[in-house]
Amino acid sequence: MTIFVIGYYALLLAASCAAAYFNKRAAFMLLFSLTLVSFVVGIIGGAGALYAIAVAAGILAMMAMVSYAFREFLILLAGKETAKELRTAPLTAAFGMFIIFTYVIAGIFAPWIAPHGEAEVISSAFAPADANMLLGADQLGRDMFSRLVYGTRNSVGLSLTATIGAFVLGAGAGLLAATKGGWFDQLMGRLADVIMSIPSLIFALLMLSIFGPSMPVIIVAVAIIYAPRVFRLTRAVAGNVVVMDYIEAAKLRGEGTGYLIRREILPNSTAPLIAEFGLEFCFVFLLVAGLSFLGLGIQPPTADWGSMVRENATLISFGEITPLIPAAAIALLTVAVNFVVDWMLHRSSGLKE
Amino acid sequence: MSPKKEVLLKIRNLKIQGYSDETWVDIIKGVDLTLHRGEVMGLIGESGAGKSTIGAAAMGYARDGTRITEDSSIEFDGIELTTSTESERRALRGSRIAYVAQSAAASFNPAHKIIDQHTEAPLHYRLRKRTEAQEDAMDLYERLRLPNPHEIGFRYPHQVSGGQLQRAMTAMAMSCRPDLIIFDEPTTALDVTTQIEVLAAIRDIVDQFNTAALYITHDLAVVAQMADTIKVLLKGNEVEEAPTEEMLSNPKEDYTKSLWAVRSFESPQRTREGRECLISVKNVDAAYASGPKILDDVSFDIYEGMTVAVVGESGSGKSTTARVITGLLPPQKGEVLFKGEPFPPDYRNRNKEQLRQCQMIYQMADTALNPKVRISEIIGRPAQFYSGLKGTALKARVDELLDLIELEPSKYYNRFPPELSGGQKQRIGIARALAAEPSFIVCDEVTSALDQLVAEGILRLLDRLQNELNLAYMFITHDLATVRSIADEVIVMQHGKVVEQGPKDQMFKPPHHPYTDLLLSSVPEMDPNWLTTLLEERGVDNIGDAAAANIDPDDAKIAP
Amino acid sequence: MGDILGLVAKRLGLGLVILFIISIIIFFMVELLPGDIAEAVLGQGATEENLKALREQMGLNDPAIIRYLGWLKGAVVFDFGRSIVTQEPVISVIGERFVNTLFLATYAAVIAVPIAITLGVIVALLRNTIFDRVVNVLTLTSISSPEFFLGYILILYFSVKWSMFPAIASLSDGMSFWELLERTFLPALTLVLVVVAHMMRMTRAAIINLLASPYIEMARLKGTPPWKVIVKHALPNAWAPIINVVALNLAYLITGVVLVEVVFVYPGIGQALVDAVSKRDFPVVQACCLIFAATFILLNLAADVGAILTNPRLRHPK
Repeated sequence: MTIFVIGYYALLLAASCAAAYFNKRAAFMLLFSLTLVSFVVGIIGGAGALYAIAVAAGILAMMAMVSYAFREFLILLAGKETAKELRTAPLTAAFGMFIIFTYVIAGIFAPWIAPHGEAEVISSAFAPADANMLLGADQLGRDMFSRLVYGTRNSVGLSLTATIGAFVLGAGAGLLAATKGGWFDQLMGRLADVIMSIPSLIFALLMLSIFGPSMPVIIVAVAIIYAPRVFRLTRAVAGNVVVMDYIEAAKLRGEGTGYLIRREILPNSTAPLIAEFGLEFCFVFLLVAGLSFLGLGIQPPTADWGSMVRENATLISFGEITPLIPAAAIALLTVAVNFVVDWMLHRSSGLKE
Repeated sequence: MSPKKEVLLKIRNLKIQGYSDETWVDIIKGVDLTLHRGEVMGLIGESGAGKSTIGAAAMGYARDGTRITEDSSIEFDGIELTTSTESERRALRGSRIAYVAQSAAASFNPAHKIIDQHTEAPLHYRLRKRTEAQEDAMDLYERLRLPNPHEIGFRYPHQVSGGQLQRAMTAMAMSCRPDLIIFDEPTTALDVTTQIEVLAAIRDIVDQFNTAALYITHDLAVVAQMADTIKVLLKGNEVEEAPTEEMLSNPKEDYTKSLWAVRSFESPQRTREGRECLISVKNVDAAYASGPKILDDVSFDIYEGMTVAVVGESGSGKSTTARVITGLLPPQKGEVLFKGEPFPPDYRNRNKEQLRQCQMIYQMADTALNPKVRISEIIGRPAQFYSGLKGTALKARVDELLDLIELEPSKYYNRFPPELSGGQKQRIGIARALAAEPSFIVCDEVTSALDQLVAEGILRLLDRLQNELNLAYMFITHDLATVRSIADEVIVMQHGKVVEQGPKDQMFKPPHHPYTDLLLSSVPEMDPNWLTTLLEERGVDNIGDAAAANIDPDDAKIAP
Repeated sequence: MGDILGLVAKRLGLGLVILFIISIIIFFMVELLPGDIAEAVLGQGATEENLKALREQMGLNDPAIIRYLGWLKGAVVFDFGRSIVTQEPVISVIGERFVNTLFLATYAAVIAVPIAITLGVIVALLRNTIFDRVVNVLTLTSISSPEFFLGYILILYFSVKWSMFPAIASLSDGMSFWELLERTFLPALTLVLVVVAHMMRMTRAAIINLLASPYIEMARLKGTPPWKVIVKHALPNAWAPIINVVALNLAYLITGVVLVEVVFVYPGIGQALVDAVSKRDFPVVQACCLIFAATFILLNLAADVGAILTNPRLRHPK
């Protein structure tokens, strides 16, 4: 038994007892179950496994602290109403906002942050990390870190454009269908049914095989694929608003469709639509990443996370984690957006009760 | 009723908190309650008074998001519910304390037959064998006067009507012969004629088995029929408690007195003399899409400056009539005339002037006002839209309208609807209708979602505005008390047909059409002996749906 | 019962119509190619004679409608024409691979469905506890991760670092069933991780939605014990949402399988599709798309029919 192992268990047990003593049930359950798990893990995996747990817990604690600080930071910056909303944000949502904030900074200021050019070959293939190259070099000897930073711009930018496209198409049609009803509503509904009965990745592959993988094709294809999903949600949300008496009152007053959508329906649909935008962005982002990973997305030499995974995949068999870094970058952003959306959905469903 | 009787339920200092906006807020603020064996206590109060929460607490049950504080005491037959374990409390539910919910349709599980849900508790507590329990169920169904008592239990809930389901639920509550039943607004969702047979059935069965009951309702007349004692609640506090007779004849607290007094308002009846005919509905038939006919040959006139009340139960076609007049549902046959000129059947074909003349006020002020639009725009938009007002002229007009509905302009100008109370919202709805400067307003159940005191204020306001602005109202309602207070003429509808129409004073006097007679006699009155007298007069089989089914809209008038 | 059969028949008919429309979309989208298939195949350096010969060989000189009807007639009996690249019949390229893909998807589903539904119900019962929150964060993380991320993590640990399972899921003849299960364990596990998270969240939401019904409160107020409330009162009404959840996720498996097959170099139809797309082998692309879409529609159809059949209101009409 090393000092580390003894200290590890002592600390956990002390913390559990303290939580129990001060009647913090949730904290106690968490700490004590961690203790029990540690016993099992310690026996099977030895000190190394315990060390891994300690590191993971440390990272979690760090993330929690960053999230907490970032939330306080936002509350200070925001106006009174927004600050009140922000106070209800759980740490996961704050963490999500922090990550999104970081990505936005990285994307906008990519050329200033990245130490090397996007396609600049500066060393030999797969060179290990050194002071010059934080994450080593890729298969052509380009700086991984710089490409990662530039990738924020390309991957996120492309997905964002495609999501906005899907939203303009889908939400526009959804609002019109809900307000107008009748044959237009029926037609749009059936059209959405048809497009949605082709799996999204398959549909994207079909279109890319025909029109070739280029940025505009990807954006249009993805927008068409996801517009029906946005349409369905918008139609449902606006459908709930359209049956309200105030819409009937406005119709009876003789208001036109434009006024109805702009002044009466949209202000009551924004919250679910923003949440849906986040969700759709996640789907689009994962789809685009999938396409790039299959070599059918953004074409080289433009840096893109999906293709970076694919290009460096061989390193996995040598136990290197390099290809996992861009993949983790994808996952992290999606998790972050999902955390924020989860909180927003929880808020809007809680308000209904 | 005598104080010597054994105490069954004793609640002391009951405090219940609800979780909202991240903190615990008191909903019930220290209520005491004592109920003896066989006694029926009525809990009455307006929405938000906490009646239903107390009802659940009497079973030791706190709904999700609420909690009973630790210093409360709920003692049922010597068992302290706040300190007993969950399984101890559970053992009482269904066997010794039973519950009858407001919506029977939602409270029966759609996946099981009614009788299987009925026998669940007796089988669970091993009180009876399955066949015995089923026979007992049929016996209870018979006592509750359900049609086909031997067969009805084997149907699924959605195959049975609302009034029958409500009685089946009462039977289910009786299945273990409990000591106490909590009735939580059991007739609120029902039509008046259906309500009366459910009331009669509930009262009988509670009498027969000498069961104690907590009867929760907001309707004074209903509680007067059911309860031995009445407890009045206001915002989580007790106002007063007294035996029914005493409470009705001699209320002590101001709040109680005001509740009793609300039905006093009556506007003097106007006549057609010297007035012009504003709206004429001529032989209108209407239906939704390809569905069955909702309106069948409906004709009536509305004169300027007068109030026509349209009365009928759900499904009678009164709201559909309003939709035909406003142009939301073009009729299949017949037409609507405005000052003798035909109104285009579809509102989309009407011009601004025609649209302006005919405005609507809705039942639910919550859905009638856009929650995301400021009051100034809600009221200002029609003025801007029809009269082209802008800038200071528009602001002056909105202020004038707010004055008219008795709301301080500077206070409400910039607010949003969710910040207002129910009555204030309804006033804003009225102001929006007035902003168009109409001559005719459809009022669709405008007071039925409001507490009685507030409703009275709205009725007085509408009456005042009518006199000042010479407005004609079509007043859709199912509440005859409202008709009495505001109508000049009355139209009674059943199954999409007008069964009777005429001036108010004639309509409330015999001879009546049989349906009008049934409707009038089914409305509960404050007299505690009303139900007893009525059942003696009409007989138990000549009330409710059974009686209504025998009536044809074309039947001749009858004298009593 | 007449009603319910009518509804099911109607739903089946609708499925067929959608499948038909999709076959039209898949076929005629290829017609949108700049130039035609022959030009796309032969590329820039094609001579007029070569093009003419190829057009003749592929029957491109017939009007599109005729070719579509011919293609559709073949597709009904799984004859999708010949691959442009290898000249083999398409069905011999993808037939066996489709079976492999189905095997992988079934493997994942058999593990995932029971786990996900059990866990979903448990999480629904423990809602708003710390356990629920931790699970929420974990499932969100799993959903948010691209399949290839999970796949490579599994490869890194299970095959490179701990050498427990093979990284490449190659199949060979004469493998025993256990060997097969072992070889395909990692791809199946990747799919399981993603799908379980999805399915759990949806099951949880469906159950919680149901537990808010007045009839559940009524059952509680009748003194019914909690387990019986779930089993007798919630579950009979939960079949429709649960069937829906399962079908949606099986449909999701179909899409997810493409990426997983590429990561693990698994000889499935997904890989065939990706290869065909990069080689612009249109008959194969069309065939794969049609097969994927048909499976997807079939699953959605099964979900809807399941929901109709388990709805008590429809089963016992008035």
